[in-house]
Amino acid sequence: MSLNSLERTIDKVLSQKESALISEIDSALQNSLKNLESSKSSLQVEYDNIIESSKKQAENLKRQIIGSSTLNARNKELVIIESAIDEIFTKAKEKLAKSNNEKNYEKLLTRLIQDSSTKLGSEIIIQCNKTDLNLVKKLVSQESSNSKSKITVSDEVVDIIGGIKAASVDGTMSLDNTLDSNIESLKPLIRKEIVQLLRGENK
Amino acid sequence: MVVDGVTKASFDELVEIETNDGERRLGKVLEVGSGKAVVQVFEGTTGLAITGTRVKFLGKTMAMPVSQELLGRVFDGLGRPNDGLPDPVADKFLDVNGEPMNPQSREYPTSFIQTGVSVIDGMLTLVRGQKLPIFSGSGMSHNILAAQIARQATVVGTNEDFAVVFAAIGVQYSEAQYFKRSLEESGALKRSVLFVNLADDPAIERIITPRVALTVAEYLAFDLGMHVLAILTDMTNYAEALREISAAREEVPGRKGYPGYLYTDLANNYERAGRIKGKNGSVTQMPILSMPADDITHPIPDLTGYITEGQVVLGRDLFRKGIYPPVNVMMSLSRLMKDGVGEGKTRSDHMEVGNQLYDAYSRAQEVRALAEIVGKAGLTGVDLKYLDAGDSFETHFLKQSPDENRNLDETLSRAWDILATLPEGELTKIKDKHIQQYYKGSK
Repeated sequence: MSLNSLERTIDKVLSQKESALISEIDSALQNSLKNLESSKSSLQVEYDNIIESSKKQAENLKRQIIGSSTLNARNKELVIIESAIDEIFTKAKEKLAKSNNEKNYEKLLTRLIQDSSTKLGSEIIIQCNKTDLNLVKKLVSQESSNSKSKITVSDEVVDIIGGIKAASVDGTMSLDNTLDSNIESLKPLIRKEIVQLLRGENK
Repeated sequence: MVVDGVTKASFDELVEIETNDGERRLGKVLEVGSGKAVVQVFEGTTGLAITGTRVKFLGKTMAMPVSQELLGRVFDGLGRPNDGLPDPVADKFLDVNGEPMNPQSREYPTSFIQTGVSVIDGMLTLVRGQKLPIFSGSGMSHNILAAQIARQATVVGTNEDFAVVFAAIGVQYSEAQYFKRSLEESGALKRSVLFVNLADDPAIERIITPRVALTVAEYLAFDLGMHVLAILTDMTNYAEALREISAAREEVPGRKGYPGYLYTDLANNYERAGRIKGKNGSVTQMPILSMPADDITHPIPDLTGYITEGQVVLGRDLFRKGIYPPVNVMMSLSRLMKDGVGEGKTRSDHMEVGNQLYDAYSRAQEVRALAEIVGKAGLTGVDLKYLDAGDSFETHFLKQSPDENRNLDETLSRAWDILATLPEGELTKIKDKHIQQYYKGSK
C-alpha cells in the first residue's frame, strides 16, 4: 500500500470517528437537556415539599413556643399567688392568735367544748394552748356545773393558735377542734376567695 | 386495714390515717359492719404501727377540686399535683365517682375528631362523645400511639375549645416521663391534664385514677363546654388492680380471677363518655388495654368490647414488620363512623373510600394467602393489582411517623393513591361522581 492510500485511510477513519463522536456528544447533550427538563418538574415538587414541610415545622414550633410560654407564665402566676395566699394565712393566724381577749372567742371556745363533749362522750380530756389555759379551765367548770359531763383540762399545753384538742379518757378517740385544723379544712374555700380578690374578680 | 369501734362509717367514705410520726395518708372504706370498718390505704400500709396510728373518718367520698386551671397541670393517680406547683384553686369539688348520665339526656354523637393518624381518621373515625378503645398487646406501640393522638387530636373547622385528659394507669416511670415530655415538647400540655399512676403505686390508687380523670373530663366538657378526649392507658392494669382488691376482700372470683362485677365496673367508667342535650361539650373516651397473650377473648377486652362503640386492634404481625401504627384494620371497627363522616361533616367521599379500602385490603389478604400456595405466577392480572394495593396500603397509608400529623384531605388523598392502583371497575363501593372527581388511575 502506498503512503497516500494509507493517509487517506487514516483520514477516513479519523473523519468517521469524529462524526461518531460528534453525534454521541449531540445525543448526550440532548439526553442531558431532556433529563434537566424532567428534573425541573421533580425538583419543583421536591422544592414545594421542602417548603411545605418547613412551613409545617415552623407552625409547630410557633405553637410549641407560644404554648410553653403561656404555660410558664401561668405557672409563675400560680406560684406567686400561692406565696401571697401563704402570707395572707400567716398574717390571719397571727391576728387570730392575738384575739383570745375578744368576747366572741370565749363564745367560740364554749361551743367547741360542748361540741367535743357531744361527740366523744361524757368523760373527756381537753388540751389547749398556754394563753387560753385559764380561760378554758373557767369555761369547763361552768360547763361541768351545767351538764353531767366530766371534762378534765390537761395542764400539758399544746402549740396551737387557739381552740381545743379533746380526747376520750381511754385515748381511743380524739377530736381536733383547734382553730388551726378548722382553718386547714376551710382553706380550699378561703383560697378561692383570696384568689378572686387578688385577680380582681370579686368586684 | 381493719379499724375497730366504728359505728357510723359509710361505704366508700374517705379516711385520713395519721401515723406515729405525723405522716398523713388517705384511704377509703371498703366494708363496714359489726363495729368494724375495712379501710384500703391509698399509699399502702407499710410503716403503719398498730399502736399510735390514728384514723379520721372524713364523712365524705373522694372529691376532686376542679377548675379551668387544671389544664396544663400534671397530677398523680389520686389527683394531687405532681409538677411542683401548688394545689389548683378549686372552682368546685366533684365526687370522683361521678353521676350517671341520664340516658334520656344523651345526644347521639355525630361530629368528627381528627387524630392526624390516617388509619383512624380514614377508616376508624373517632366521633365526639364516642368510646373507642385500642386493643394492644404487651410490648406493642400503643403508648406511642396514645401520646401521638393526645398531641394531635383536634376538632376541625370550629372555634370550639378542645382538651385532652390523659390518665396513665400503672405505667412505668420511663413511660410516664415519655407522656409528659411528649405533651410538653409539642406544646399540647397547655390544653391537657395529665394523671400519672405509676406501676409501683398501690393497687387502690389505680382504681381511683380513671375516676379522677373522668371527673375532670366531665367538668371541662359539661361545665366549661369543651370537647374533651379522655385517653386511659392501660385499662388492663386497672382491671388487675380490681382483681387484687377483690381477692383481698375474699370475694368469689369470676373468669380468670377477676371479680364478677368487672363488667359493671368497666361500664361505670366507659359510660362516662358522651354528649348531653343542651350542652356544648363532649367527653370522648379512648381507653387503651393490652391484651394478655394477645388474646382478644380475655375477659378485659371481651367485656370492654361489649360496652364500647367499636375497637382499634393493633396486630402483632404488622408490628413485627415495623409498621407503625400497627393497626389490624380487619379486626377493627368504629361503630359510629357512619354518623360522623360525609357531606357537611368531613368529605362526601369519606365513608365510601373507607369502605373501598376495607374491601381492597381484605381482597389483598386473600390474594396473599393464595400467592403463598400457587405463587405469583398463578395469579390473574387483577389479583396482582390487589397484591400491590395491599402492599401500598401498608406502606403509603397505614405506615406513618409518630410525629407526622396528617389532615383529613391528605389522608383521603393517600387513600385515592392506593385505589388508583386498582382498575376503575373494581371500585364498587364508590359512587361514580366521586370516582370522576378523585380517581387517579388509568380509566
